[in-house]
Amino acid sequence: MNSHASLEQNEKMLRERLSESSDFKVSSITVNGRKLCLYYLESMIDTSAVQNHILQPLLSLQWTQIREAVSILDYCETDILDEAITAIVEGKTVVQLDGASTLYVLGTELKKERSVNLPVNERVLRGSNEALIENLQTNLNLMRKMVATPDLVVRTYKLGKISNTNVAVIYLRSVVNNDVLAEFERRIGRVDTDFVEAPGFLQELIQDKKFSLFPRMLVTERPDRVKAYLMSGKIVILADGAPDCLIVPVTFWAFFQSADDYQLGWLIGSSMRLLRIVCFMLAISMPAAYVALVTFDPRIIPFDIALTLQSSMQYIAMTPIIEAVVMLITLEILREATIRLPNPIGQTIGVVGGIVIGTVVVQSNLVSNMMLIVVAFTAVASFLIPSYEMSSAARYLTYPFITLSATFGLIGLELAFLMLFTHLARIHTMGIPYFFSGVNGETVLDTLVRGPIKMLTKRRKLRR
Amino acid sequence: MIHLNKISMVQLFCLVILTQVGVHILTIPSEESRHSGHDAWMSVLVGGVIAQLVIMIIYWLGTRHPHLPMPQYIISLVGKPIGIVLNLIIAVYCLESSLLVVVSYADVINRWVLYATPWIVQVGLLTAIAGYVASSTLRSIAAVTQIVMVMFLFCFVIIFISGLGKGEILHIFPIGSHGFGAIMKDSLPAFWAYAGYELLLYVFPYVKRKNKRSILFIMSAANGFTTLFYVLISIIVTFSFSENQLKAIPEPMIFILRQFHWPVLQNLDIVFITVWLSVTTVTVYVYLFLSARYLAFVHIQEIRNHSFLVWILAILCFAAAIWGADRQRILQFSAYHNTASILIVAVLPAMLLLISLARGRRAGFG
Repeated sequence: MNSHASLEQNEKMLRERLSESSDFKVSSITVNGRKLCLYYLESMIDTSAVQNHILQPLLSLQWTQIREAVSILDYCETDILDEAITAIVEGKTVVQLDGASTLYVLGTELKKERSVNLPVNERVLRGSNEALIENLQTNLNLMRKMVATPDLVVRTYKLGKISNTNVAVIYLRSVVNNDVLAEFERRIGRVDTDFVEAPGFLQELIQDKKFSLFPRMLVTERPDRVKAYLMSGKIVILADGAPDCLIVPVTFWAFFQSADDYQLGWLIGSSMRLLRIVCFMLAISMPAAYVALVTFDPRIIPFDIALTLQSSMQYIAMTPIIEAVVMLITLEILREATIRLPNPIGQTIGVVGGIVIGTVVVQSNLVSNMMLIVVAFTAVASFLIPSYEMSSAARYLTYPFITLSATFGLIGLELAFLMLFTHLARIHTMGIPYFFSGVNGETVLDTLVRGPIKMLTKRRKLRR
Repeated sequence: MIHLNKISMVQLFCLVILTQVGVHILTIPSEESRHSGHDAWMSVLVGGVIAQLVIMIIYWLGTRHPHLPMPQYIISLVGKPIGIVLNLIIAVYCLESSLLVVVSYADVINRWVLYATPWIVQVGLLTAIAGYVASSTLRSIAAVTQIVMVMFLFCFVIIFISGLGKGEILHIFPIGSHGFGAIMKDSLPAFWAYAGYELLLYVFPYVKRKNKRSILFIMSAANGFTTLFYVLISIIVTFSFSENQLKAIPEPMIFILRQFHWPVLQNLDIVFITVWLSVTTVTVYVYLFLSARYLAFVHIQEIRNHSFLVWILAILCFAAAIWGADRQRILQFSAYHNTASILIVAVLPAMLLLISLARGRRAGFG
């Protein structure tokens, strides 16, 4: 729909289209005998910019064209009403001269953002202390500063039919795998929702359909990490309003990498990496192994240790599997409670959870000492995994593992592991295998261990 | 997308070794020592050499058709009707191999670890897990096999640490006292123990090779490793038990493991049987996979729904395995299967090679 030349008509149409919103304002001024109107959303504009760069020059200078007068970089002309409306919603100011249908769209958005802060969820000892924030432009600015090359491609999309969220996709053109890129663009083009909640929605809408507990996109808030992944040919998705970004396609091993690994020497880095992976295994299987040992094969445990176990289990009425499941669920409840509670009360949970539940449950012979140790150890082990998504996956996998080993003993545990590995080996993200990387043993150096930098920094295309 | 991409040399190495070794590790060398007694390790060695010869035949056959798997070129080689029948026979043979491994190992588990679990649950569990793995792509299967290799090496360590304990070196001497004939006669039961390298018939075109000969090299290395492993086990067993004891013990390895005590683990036999389960599962799922692939070419056109075929075969395997609760039946089946494997694994490729050579020459002259 085109705009009308009459100011009154136009104002009426705009009001109607903007649903008679109360914060829609029209201010008209008369300069040199010509009447002109400013349309804007009061809540969205930067008032001082409008006053200093639009109103003041218009009133004080001699001008024939609007462009001559206003001192605003983001300037465009249109006579399509819909474009003007979108611009108004975004916080731009639209100026119209009486008698002409041309609309001048001027960028006067109010930028509200917090400053770049310390990372909260991914702490490291060495390395940068910047974290992404909710503003897309600032995040892009951070990334451009980190990777200052014309090779860096930024593509923006507007996702969400109603919310029109700005989403930016960045990658290094020379390193990215073109097949993966094409597949990714196909998927992001298919996204069809009313609004986008980044990164959660995007993750679900873009990733492969196959069901899995395991996260297949890496969520991070650290620009330095993003930089490292960009360099290895990954695609990064940033969205307005999200202080995290998504990295795709990643392998299973990416979830065990931390920026620290690359700051310390490679031997220490490798041992930390290995420790995390071992802890991941323990988090999955420790209660299951304990249940299998005490219910099926106490024969395997050396006699002296078996005696200790027996003395701790003597008066316990519940079977080990129920003990284990009850304690694990209790732990989940405590963990969730600590996240939700406001900070000052958070401390209470430690007292109630740790002392009351932990100690009293054992003293009253509901749960054995040994089981409490196992469950607590499992919990600590699961917290070692740098990615929250992966550590949740580990915690949920514990339950099927316990069930299998409570029914079939160690054999059940073994089969559970075999199934887990098969499941992992069957997952693909964007056509890239998820679990086994570098069929030729090339990128294998950055999986279980972290190889010396010299061997890692060769840039190469991801293989399909 | 059954292949998705080629498998690497290392993966081929793991696949071959783990398909070769299986339930046999527990019984070696009781079957091989019937005639040759304490010289059983030489029979086992001869078995490895025979396997090597068959590998050469299979490799030669493979190099003549480097871009097609066996079920495809077999049709062009012997004509459609016979080719389809042969594919069906090989598919049945592969399914039989899966079945035999499932029932034999379920039998072992039943007697040593899970006494109270019903037979039907045990075989169901084994076939289900094997079916799940086999319904993946070849590359996923290879990746899983690489992980199982770690468990295999763990078992390897367990065996050698516990085997080098108490024993009597004189049990092995005098070497060769049973005569050449007896040793050769006992190398035949070992044939099925070595079977597994025939997966090359199918896998040949899907291996990423660095140069022409590398597949043969890897195959020989894998077979050599298996031979070494078997021979070492035979020596360990003859080192621990005298010839008379050997005759009375059907599963000598378990007894050797049982008498050894680690400070952290007791009853190593149970640990071993449990961990070894994953190694035998490799044999089951590889054969299940091969069976489904051969079966896919039985139809006029290739049947593309691989996982459907695998699950059908797994259900068949499970149904047949239910009848295996009777031990006598397993032993009979095992004896029959040994003969069948000689026919399918050695005689059939040799015949095909001859046909291929004859036709190739004719084509060359014509």
